[in-house]
Amino acid sequence: MKLAHQRPMFDIAMLGVPLVFLVLICAVPVVYTVVMSFQSVDMFTIMSLRRPFVGLHNYMALFARPGARHIFLNTALFTILSVSAQLVLGFALALFFNRRFPGAATLRGVFLAGWIMPGLVVGGIWKWIFAGDNGVLNAVLAGLHLTRSHPFWLSDPALSLYAVIVANIWLGIPFNMILLSVGLAAVPADVYEAAKMDGAGPVRTFLFITLPMMRATIAAVASLGVIFTLQQYDLISGLTEGGPSNSSNVAQYWSWQLSFQVYEIGQGSALAVLMLAFTAAVAGFYVWSTRQEQAA
Amino acid sequence: MFKHACRLAFSRLAISGLAILCVAPARAAPVTLQFWTIEKPNQVTQSYALAKEFEAKNPDIHIEIKHVDFADVSNDTMRAIATGAGPDLVTIDNPEVALFAAHNALADLSPLIAQSKVIDPKRFFPGPLASVTWKGHVFGLPRGSNTLVLYINDDAFKAAGLDPAQPPATWDALREDARKLTDPAKGVYGLAFSAIGDEEGTFQFLPWVQSAGGDYDKISGPAGVAALTFWQSLIDEKLASHDTLIRAQSDAFQTFVNGNAAMAISGPWELSGPISTAKFAWSTALLPVQKPGGTHASALGEHAFVILHNSAHPAEAFRFLEYVYSQEGRDWNEFGMLPSIRIDNPAAPQHPQAYATFIEEMKYARVRGPNPHWSVISKAIQAAFQSALTHQAQPAAALKDAQAIIDPALQGDN
Repeated sequence: MKLAHQRPMFDIAMLGVPLVFLVLICAVPVVYTVVMSFQSVDMFTIMSLRRPFVGLHNYMALFARPGARHIFLNTALFTILSVSAQLVLGFALALFFNRRFPGAATLRGVFLAGWIMPGLVVGGIWKWIFAGDNGVLNAVLAGLHLTRSHPFWLSDPALSLYAVIVANIWLGIPFNMILLSVGLAAVPADVYEAAKMDGAGPVRTFLFITLPMMRATIAAVASLGVIFTLQQYDLISGLTEGGPSNSSNVAQYWSWQLSFQVYEIGQGSALAVLMLAFTAAVAGFYVWSTRQEQAA
Repeated sequence: MFKHACRLAFSRLAISGLAILCVAPARAAPVTLQFWTIEKPNQVTQSYALAKEFEAKNPDIHIEIKHVDFADVSNDTMRAIATGAGPDLVTIDNPEVALFAAHNALADLSPLIAQSKVIDPKRFFPGPLASVTWKGHVFGLPRGSNTLVLYINDDAFKAAGLDPAQPPATWDALREDARKLTDPAKGVYGLAFSAIGDEEGTFQFLPWVQSAGGDYDKISGPAGVAALTFWQSLIDEKLASHDTLIRAQSDAFQTFVNGNAAMAISGPWELSGPISTAKFAWSTALLPVQKPGGTHASALGEHAFVILHNSAHPAEAFRFLEYVYSQEGRDWNEFGMLPSIRIDNPAAPQHPQAYATFIEEMKYARVRGPNPHWSVISKAIQAAFQSALTHQAQPAAALKDAQAIIDPALQGDN
């Protein structure tokens, strides 16, 4: 009797603690950012909610800024190219390591080393690789007689965004590989056996067995990839600071610059809210696609 | 007002709550000053050395030091002011002093300086004093100063048939010498500097504008255009690396130390470390002026000590600042900075030739601003030189866009 009486309280406490944690860590900052995006804010009023409301002014001012269109286009390119290349290369590696050969598991583990490195360190290393004058990449290209001039990968505005994308792809491949490996392991072996008995070659097996069976995993990895890519801040900070002349700037870094370099916190928040809405849509798509999968 | 009273009542409550928790006997405890610094404890640095010595001389004052990263110190301080939980003392970058002062976040030091037997404002170099002055009142004390000079690889000069004792004195001479020193086959550029799109880039760009007779407030004028056109020619002619656009000053200077650039523009901070690994003879010279007999100009950098307005111990904090001021003679030899005041110390400066150049250059070092909207102004200038150097815009058009952002910032005075 006594136990039954106490249990609801215990359950509520067990539920309540993480809920309070979630509200404090996630919900409050999100709501706070949304509120700030409709207010006139500077660093000295950041803790007071009693600030003048300015309606959509921050959003309009954000889009009116020079470079806004360019940065949004960069963000789209950065996200689409990063996520698709990470997915394709990650999948290729996952398939490769899925074949049983000596050392496969160890090598796969070694690949993870890149993923656990902080973005700033990765940025520092790629900065050496991409350096125009004495960079590793240019030395290799020159050694192979592939380029006559040495491209300035990071400071040429036509190249800098793609250099940052390449570094980001490298950073994201291990994560994609591991998740897709888990997905591959979950595909029942007897399905493959059946396909083999029906005379399906490796291409047909991949197209008609592996890909359909992996649909939910691929959707999940792609959604997470979009979310992680839109969070990528420190790599850009370490490589180019969004430069030169915004050529490699993307929304997430720009939001930080607006809030903490020029103290346009309202506009920085407006940009963060737009990105949040987009990320929420991606997350919604992910939930929807996996629900379809479970219902089927 | 109500909010203030509430906050006060709340903080009193919190303090009394703490007092009940602490059962220690109420002895005449020393005053504790909270001090935030960008310096790290494991280095031989000014903040820690002076705080320790000051505590030994003033047993009634204890200084609690916290390290805050260079990139975070302004943001953290502003946040701390907003929450009413700031330190007593903090060092902030000198162009930010106006922003804090305009928001009434800093204690006005003018009355304290007027009574001080130690600090004499007349001894300050004009630049450092201007950097901590807002609307006629002094709100900070430069913790030291730095400025930019031209570093020269003497061996490279001689190899190119140039005389290192005759360093380039004008822009044209600098470009001419850079042409002779540049050797693409050996991977050597004539000059290394930084045109990065952050505050360091502004710091490096403004002296050129000022030397041509302009300044940040009239950046689109002929001086700004001349300076930017000059910078553009250095990059276009490949006298400086294209990576100048993404290199911080220390990165650019490292190429000079490695022998990949025959001249470099940087500050005194290079002397306390990087330069020691250079395998060549080197010297320093004043930054070149636009035309013979033209105006000398250089940048003025370094953080300033400020006392926050809501500090409970401004008098004790000011005593520490007096001690800092009294030790400026140690800035060069011990702390890798220039003194902000005219002094005869050190009697035996390290790198005496460089010291003479830097002290001479200090006379021409100019404050950025002061303006509470400095970050907006600076960002506009960065956008201008980066778009011109990447040929996305002509110098005049790029600077006109910058001026359109700067003008409103000049209007609003707070």
